[in-house]
Amino acid sequence: MQFSSESVEGLVEQLTKLPSIGRKTAQRLAAFVLKMPRAEVVEIAEALIAVKDRVRECTICHNVTDRNPCVICRAPRRDRSTICVVEDANDVLAIERTGEYRGVYHVLGGVISPLNGIGPEDLRIRELMRRLVSADDIPDDVPGTNGSATPPEDVDAEAEAIIEAHQAAAVEEIILAVNPNVEGDTTAYYISQLVNPLEVSVTRIARGLPIGGDLEYADEATLSRALEGRGSL
Amino acid sequence: MQLHHLRLLAFRAHDATEVAFAPGINFIFGPNGAGKTNLLEAIHYLCLTKSFVASSDRYVLQQGAPHFEVEGQFSGMRRSELRVRLAYVPGEGKRVFVNGAPLERLSEIVGMLPVVSFSPDDQALTAEGPDERRRFLDNIISQAKAAYLEDRIQYRRTMKQRNELLSQIGRSSSPANARVLASWDAELVRLGSRVIHMRHQFLLDFATFLAEAYGRIEEVAERPTITYDTIAPLTPDTTRADIEQAYRDELDRVADNERRRGLTLIGPHRDELVFALNGLEVRRYASQGQHRTFGMALKLAKYFYLYERLDEAPLFLLDDVFDPLDPERSEAFLTLLEGDAIGQSFVTATHAKRFAELVSLDAPTHRVIQVDDGKVVAPATAS
Repeated sequence: MQFSSESVEGLVEQLTKLPSIGRKTAQRLAAFVLKMPRAEVVEIAEALIAVKDRVRECTICHNVTDRNPCVICRAPRRDRSTICVVEDANDVLAIERTGEYRGVYHVLGGVISPLNGIGPEDLRIRELMRRLVSADDIPDDVPGTNGSATPPEDVDAEAEAIIEAHQAAAVEEIILAVNPNVEGDTTAYYISQLVNPLEVSVTRIARGLPIGGDLEYADEATLSRALEGRGSL
Repeated sequence: MQLHHLRLLAFRAHDATEVAFAPGINFIFGPNGAGKTNLLEAIHYLCLTKSFVASSDRYVLQQGAPHFEVEGQFSGMRRSELRVRLAYVPGEGKRVFVNGAPLERLSEIVGMLPVVSFSPDDQALTAEGPDERRRFLDNIISQAKAAYLEDRIQYRRTMKQRNELLSQIGRSSSPANARVLASWDAELVRLGSRVIHMRHQFLLDFATFLAEAYGRIEEVAERPTITYDTIAPLTPDTTRADIEQAYRDELDRVADNERRRGLTLIGPHRDELVFALNGLEVRRYASQGQHRTFGMALKLAKYFYLYERLDEAPLFLLDDVFDPLDPERSEAFLTLLEGDAIGQSFVTATHAKRFAELVSLDAPTHRVIQVDDGKVVAPATAS
């Protein structure tokens, strides 16, 4: 089924490019947009463009931010000796919501997946290593750039001081908070092999039961993982 | 587990069929091509989201129909009312609903409705290559242990990723790849060893079930055994750590070859099961009759194993299995189906005649269902 208007059809096609939007959902969204006041549609369009124009990547943690470095890296009271490594900016949001974590982050930008053509060179792994050791001490076979070698143009003196302070901080722990699937496991293993020889402890977030979930409703696979990763009291 | 009512829509030969079942033996009679087996396939779809006949969902869908649907009303030890519906839409795939709620993943249904199917195709189990035997093994353990199915799905995913990487290495060897490959190796060894360890543990348990099942159908005292041939030498005390060590050694040994061929060459996906009678391999040395008996014993053992592990009588689907049996064996098998050891069963055959002499077809626990031309023609109304 196609809309009789080519413009609407075009909108549907564009919307289906977004994740988890199938053709049917796109048609529903397009029909809704048709009914919206023009001003609101302009607001949405401008917001979409603004994220592309204004949002940049934090030089330190590679999270998305309007101002480089990002708020978290700027915060003087956050513990810079602990770095939580996540796949995407969304994961930072999820961990921040817990309100439990007071360290800083490192956003990889994905996980190793040969099927999707993603290798360590496409991830911020060398940049992570640069936060731990000098460029000379990173094994040669770790691909990527050396990060802060060329300071970004948008960074002023204050920002530069923050970047330096992060670089000077001694990192004691790396927490790997990648998703518990085979790609996440492999990426975690890859990073742990690089970090283990350093005087930095590497931990992986526990996998197991959701809080508030009853044991009896947990699926067997989760339950057996949770049993394997049990801790002493 | 009991299936009370089944509804099919645009499923193989059936446009729209509804049928009610009895708690004992359900005989499904009808001419060839009438759609008898389709009913068993539909039940199998509800239990394991696919048919026991190797075939793509696309071919199960009636030509020209927008989607197919199967719905069954079950009751069991744990759930007194379980309505399971499976729908397939080309391009969108399958979805399963349990009591109206969609399952997030299809694999969640596996084990909820235990099932054992037995059809003439199963002769491949004892007569042909190792694929069928691995599938048999995976099918039982997956139904008995959800964690196994999960591990196997992840193992397969890891192997796919690793194969892709190996073929990339074959095309251009960037130095970065060695460390990436080592990371995939670690994941492969972890998951592959779990699969092998669970298969090994299962086979140790299954041995007694097989011996008992064989004894039930064969009076000659022959000893059936299954030997598990995998990357590691196995003893009853072999631990997962032992398997991991052997796995890593094997990977080292084939490393060059794998890079050359761009393929994962060792692991549980290459495992072999050797069936033997009194120490002689069935595939090579057994007679036609022994093949049949061994195949039947495997299915019965599977039935008793799942019954015990899940505390739930599996549904027993018997597609055209009585035809090659002589009257004595047919009678013995029917007596077994009628007894307490086996719950609800579904038997297809072309003719009612041979059964009428062996079992009382009009007993209240049994039912005779006539199928013709993709329809249930008797009993007249299925409600």
